[in-house]
Amino acid sequence: MTALPLRVPRLILRSAGYEMRKRIQFRTGFFVREVLFGTVEPLIMLFVYGALYASAGGGDVVLGGWTFDEILRYVAGLLVVRKLIFHNRGIELSTEIFEGRVTKYLVMPLRYFTLLQGRFLQYTLLQVVIAGLVWAAGYGLVGDRWLVPVSPTAACQALVLVLMGSYCCFLLYFVINALAFWLDVVWSLLVMSWFLVNFTGGGAVPVSQMPEGLQRIFCALFPYWTITAPIELVMGRLETADFQRGVVVLALWLLALECLRRLVWQRGLARYVGAGM
Amino acid sequence: MSTGEPGADEVVLAARRVGKVFKTFERAPGVLGVLRNFVARKEIEVAALADIDLVIRRGETVGLIGANGAGKTTLVKILTGIVPASSGEARLLGRDSFQLTDEEKRRLALVMGQKSQLWWDLPPIDSFQLLREIYSIPEECFRERVAAFTRMLDVEDRLKIQLRQLSLGQRMKMEIIGAFLHDPEVVFLDEPTIGLDLVSRETIRGFLVKLAEERGVTFVLTSHDLEDIEETCRRIVVLDSGRVAFDGDLDGLSRRVSGQRAVEVHVDPGAQLDEARLAEVLRQHGGEVGSRAADAVTILVPAEGIRGLMPALFDALPVRDLSVERQPLEHLVREIYSSSERSGAALPRSDEVEST
Repeated sequence: MTALPLRVPRLILRSAGYEMRKRIQFRTGFFVREVLFGTVEPLIMLFVYGALYASAGGGDVVLGGWTFDEILRYVAGLLVVRKLIFHNRGIELSTEIFEGRVTKYLVMPLRYFTLLQGRFLQYTLLQVVIAGLVWAAGYGLVGDRWLVPVSPTAACQALVLVLMGSYCCFLLYFVINALAFWLDVVWSLLVMSWFLVNFTGGGAVPVSQMPEGLQRIFCALFPYWTITAPIELVMGRLETADFQRGVVVLALWLLALECLRRLVWQRGLARYVGAGM
Repeated sequence: MSTGEPGADEVVLAARRVGKVFKTFERAPGVLGVLRNFVARKEIEVAALADIDLVIRRGETVGLIGANGAGKTTLVKILTGIVPASSGEARLLGRDSFQLTDEEKRRLALVMGQKSQLWWDLPPIDSFQLLREIYSIPEECFRERVAAFTRMLDVEDRLKIQLRQLSLGQRMKMEIIGAFLHDPEVVFLDEPTIGLDLVSRETIRGFLVKLAEERGVTFVLTSHDLEDIEETCRRIVVLDSGRVAFDGDLDGLSRRVSGQRAVEVHVDPGAQLDEARLAEVLRQHGGEVGSRAADAVTILVPAEGIRGLMPALFDALPVRDLSVERQPLEHLVREIYSSSERSGAALPRSDEVEST
């Protein structure tokens, strides 16, 4: 019998392996969903910003503290970072609740969440590889105009923030999905939450280019430290002290979301009807 | 409740006055109804179970029968801890079903005929490997059980084929293998043979009977196929409208209802039946027509009337072939339901009847 302390990590690893196989077995779907996903919005940003800077005079004009070259590198950073952030379609919990597919896990000697953690792990591992390839392809195409880390340390710090933020997203989507215990439809909430995470994180406009009042609010939220801050770290616009602050903010969010996750799951289970059985 | 060494008399499952009420919303029809629902929804309560008392001991094989909506699946969900009871107490292996620990869950298995426990996109062997990890099954035991069970269920060559590509029967066999890999003590099977062909059904029944005999597994089986119940279960619990309408063995059920026999009479093809004569014979011997088919009629008659009925039937009908059987379970259950409707309440439990 496997020693108990090792059992959970082993289960997470094992389920990560299974999730990986499930994810890559359909090649076209994998390419469209995982590789191409998240490329449209940065491209739109690029055209919009191109037009803005051109109308403002072009050249070295600075808008909101950003030159056009910096914006180009920011967009390149967005292309990479978006690949790393856990997406709400990675959890199908609400469907599993509606269709009663959670039932089988409730009679097993494990926490269902452990299997989902395995899914998060496989998602992260695969997306790190994809993000690396996207970065390399971009660098190969446009050279130094692409986002190049100011130092290996900055790149590592950025990766830590993105992954912590990605886990925050994972917990947030779990909580919203678990609302399916109470609500008939949650996909609209998921879409809205993705939009909010994206917007408050700087997925449409860098947070540091937004009005100061908004910046102050968004800096207290986890999406900022997941999207804008890591890119600015890599660009050299933020420093190690900012990274440390980001780790603290994200750790607090992780704690809060984990408590919320447990609460919602426990309360929700009491309302579960095990449909379809 | 026994908490000592497992013994034959150990109570593994106990329900005491268990009730379940589901809350849902009434949805008014039409456009106005939709608008009304949008502004103010009317919450309604649906009682699925009421005052269920049930005690199941180690090694018992229990068939749970009931019409759609009778509450049998809800009862299984409560007993396995999937949903909490609204009232009363359900205990499995000595603990509140809804508070089972991992240790108790290791001793439990659930097979759902209409839901796959295995992972749809993976070959069964991969799912089994994951179950091995979940249940901490030693490697050697795992290999032995997979080999033995796949041989018994004749699916040895299907282990590496994606689950979604297997036939329904093969899939269900794999589900059952997955449920038994960790050698559970208590197994709940909810409609395990639904939609399967005769051969698959018989193979699965044989597998369950063998495991019950060899390993002393406690089974709770729900099925609409009463042959499943007859062939695999020694005890029968009939649920009707959320209440226990009968609890006892098959013979007890047969005695309890009416102790009838079913006489299946095949007549010469195309022969004209003398209906008036048949009705007269049935009236004299207390029989009635249970069902009719082309060139055959099934007559239900009290066991004590069978001796007099036989010669009268040969006189009255152009009999080509004839067989006498205990009343089919379907008829018994149907009679229980109608009895229950007539009396306005569930029938008394068999043990109560026997004690009077």
